[in-house]
Amino acid sequence: MIITIANTVIIVSGISGFLAFLLVLAEKFFANYGECKIDINGKKELVIEGGSSLLASLNENKIFLASACGGRGSCGFCKCTVKSGGGPLLPTEKPFLNSQEINKGVRLACQIKVKEDLQIEIPEEIFNIRKFKAEVSQIRNFTYDIKELTLKLIEPNEIDFKAGQYVQLEAPPYEKSKHSVTRAYSIASSPLHKDYIQLIIRRVPDGICTTYIFDYLQQGDNINFTGPFGDFIIRDTQSDMLFVAGGSGKAPIKSMLEYLQNQGSKRRMIYMFGARTKDDLYLTEEFRELEEKLADFTYVPVLSKPKEGTDWQGKTGYIPPYFPEYIKDPQNTEAYLCGSPGMIAAVKKGLLENGVSEDKIYYDSF
Amino acid sequence: MKETPQEKKIHENMKAGVLTMHGFLGDDDRHFHEIIAEDKAALEKLGLSCYQIADKLQQITDKAYNSYQDSILLDDKLLVSYNSVRGKTICPFGHPGGYPKGEIKLKNLENGRTIVWTPLNIHMIREHCFFEGEGSKHRLDPQIIKKTLF
Repeated sequence: MIITIANTVIIVSGISGFLAFLLVLAEKFFANYGECKIDINGKKELVIEGGSSLLASLNENKIFLASACGGRGSCGFCKCTVKSGGGPLLPTEKPFLNSQEINKGVRLACQIKVKEDLQIEIPEEIFNIRKFKAEVSQIRNFTYDIKELTLKLIEPNEIDFKAGQYVQLEAPPYEKSKHSVTRAYSIASSPLHKDYIQLIIRRVPDGICTTYIFDYLQQGDNINFTGPFGDFIIRDTQSDMLFVAGGSGKAPIKSMLEYLQNQGSKRRMIYMFGARTKDDLYLTEEFRELEEKLADFTYVPVLSKPKEGTDWQGKTGYIPPYFPEYIKDPQNTEAYLCGSPGMIAAVKKGLLENGVSEDKIYYDSF
Repeated sequence: MKETPQEKKIHENMKAGVLTMHGFLGDDDRHFHEIIAEDKAALEKLGLSCYQIADKLQQITDKAYNSYQDSILLDDKLLVSYNSVRGKTICPFGHPGGYPKGEIKLKNLENGRTIVWTPLNIHMIREHCFFEGEGSKHRLDPQIIKKTLF
């Protein structure tokens, strides 16, 4: 009886081992896609070893599409137009694409496995995106849950970006995370400073990346990021500008205002910053100083829940009810929003109700 | 328990430090299939379905989301707030799409019970009948859901 069982086990194990061996062989010979060519915009051709995702293949060749999820298919940022090759659209891509994009051949680069020659189109500005190594030269605590990082660039040692754009910071594996993760953060410093960037980061409870930044990252450490990304940038018009932000959403607005100040802008600008209590306010003096430096700028902090007994003399409640007071000419107003999805939704609703055109409301949707 | 490669991947995704810092299993030693099976059995006894719970949580979530920052009172007894943060997370089962980060907190003022969930919880309950493991931060025990929401 025991011998029969032992023989059976040996036979089954042998068959399993043989099948596994066949699978390895099959992978080696049949899943070997050899060299594949990726034609980009009809101007640049990459020759790569097939088998990896299009996103990874482009990254290896220093072409960085936006990707806030590290290629897991959850952010939908790594869109590109595939003119030929790439196989059929996958179910994992559909939730991120509208019918117009599907008809144009827009795909998620992280979901396409390169198995054949591809022809793709990407915006020209993507060629400006680089991977940077930087040193954390300063860390400042702004509030109990908001920090500013100053990152001195090492390689490359300069960056060109537009005020309002963001970078993707890479947190390496650490005690609480098995893999490296990337997360998008808006640049807070002016684009006139090319040898460093500043980021304003709010702790996300149990967030893998922000826990690393708040609890592990030290001044003097090196860190990698890619960028710049995004089209949340100043529109070159003379329209009134209304900025609305909350929490770490102050970052891109700070970059924009510092840039506008340097350019001597005469545009009418209002900046409404929403916070719960006085403890959530930061950089207030800096923005008060900008009121002096800019020709027509007003900073309006609004507290939704000021603590009883505090000496808060400013606006209270929510921001949208104050729009009629500050929006003079809705049709001639551009709105720049940065904050949580809930805040963006509420502010956008308020702006539309006050006559601001939807196509003049700008924000990043991450 | 023998696992298919797909199940192994799901199991790995559920561990702490992979998709989220604390993972989806808490200190529960059971396989996720067992967690799902036992919760389904508990639901049957309670006369509820995963869809019913997911629908209820979604309705509340939508109302709280629209209220922005403020708590809202529903049915004169459910105090709800939505802490919306930037970013998305993905389903450990490999379902396509991203689910907004952020938490919805609900307190039943009649019995004092509080439950906390995320948009991903709603998806996992609806599509996979997965309420997370015991001890997991966003574990939604069917019995407690029944006592809190229904």
